[in-house]
Amino acid sequence: MSATLEALCQNLQKHLGDRVQSLKVALGEVTIEVDVADYLAVMNTLRDEAELCFEELIDLCGVDYSAYANVPREGKRFAAVSHLLSIARNWRLRVRCFAPDDDFPSVPSVTAVWNVADWFEREAFDLFGIVFPGHLDLRRILTDYGFIGHPFRKDFPVSGYVEMRYDPDQQRVIYQPVTIEPREVTPRIVREASYGNVENA
Amino acid sequence: MGIEGILQEGFVTTTADKLINYVRTGSLWPMSFGLACCAIEMIHAGCSRYDLDRFGIVFRPSPRQSDVMVVAGTLTNKMAPAMRKVYDQMAEPRWVVSMGSCANGGGYYHYSYSVVRGCDRIVPVDIYVPGCPPTAEALIYGLIQLQNKIRRTNTIAR
Repeated sequence: MSATLEALCQNLQKHLGDRVQSLKVALGEVTIEVDVADYLAVMNTLRDEAELCFEELIDLCGVDYSAYANVPREGKRFAAVSHLLSIARNWRLRVRCFAPDDDFPSVPSVTAVWNVADWFEREAFDLFGIVFPGHLDLRRILTDYGFIGHPFRKDFPVSGYVEMRYDPDQQRVIYQPVTIEPREVTPRIVREASYGNVENA
Repeated sequence: MGIEGILQEGFVTTTADKLINYVRTGSLWPMSFGLACCAIEMIHAGCSRYDLDRFGIVFRPSPRQSDVMVVAGTLTNKMAPAMRKVYDQMAEPRWVVSMGSCANGGGYYHYSYSVVRGCDRIVPVDIYVPGCPPTAEALIYGLIQLQNKIRRTNTIAR
């Protein structure tokens, strides 16, 4: 681990203490997990504390862990993951916060901490159905007006439930139930058994 | 056209249909409806290297001044009502060129929950230009095919 990451980890431990549920360093990137109750306070500390100084929120997205790594998942299903950047300190951090309730996932909004979170949280709400209390204008952002469902959830079919066509009788574009069959594509792998002298490659 | 003998006197005789089709094919003004990467190839076709102006094809920003709509790119469910509205605002006679795999039949996004599986589900299409995206040459070839199609129509003679 480089000296910079070492310093970042020490500063995180120093200023967040036991509010950090887990701290992982992998592939030169630092990831911390925080409880939903501490989330807003932690984010404020990360931005305001001079030894951390994360001025910028690069990205915030939802994640559905229900089929993660293709194994049955124990524990919470939805998480909001943020990527932070400190320009002054030249380091980055990933913050993961799991939503406590799988049926009504809810994570506090960080729009008051970083303004850019506005559209990112709308996107996470649109695609995963994660609600962000404290967000002033939580609407869908990508899908069609009146869209039903959250398409990036693992239980949402790829082709959806409805499709669109023009109806000559009504003289307008209408939705109808989807008419195509779902298609599962499993790539066919053609390879010699002893490829690269690796077993089960 | 009969021009023998009377051309010296300053007259040309032709049929009304041929004259109408000559005028229609000579100034096909497309509604620029660029939706995705195909729009970049459409812009290439319109710029100086391929120069659609020499066919009398000039892009218009308004459907009311347009004769043909080039649907260049992925047509999503959210865009479809707007696209139909633009088509409805175009004055007759009007034509539609579907450009690229996505507009032809959904293409890469055929199985998606948010994409119309071909813009012919929304508007009647005259010419399909295949490709992902089609080259500027392919689009020009498609527009020439549209001109040929217009020349075959008869407005006066039945």
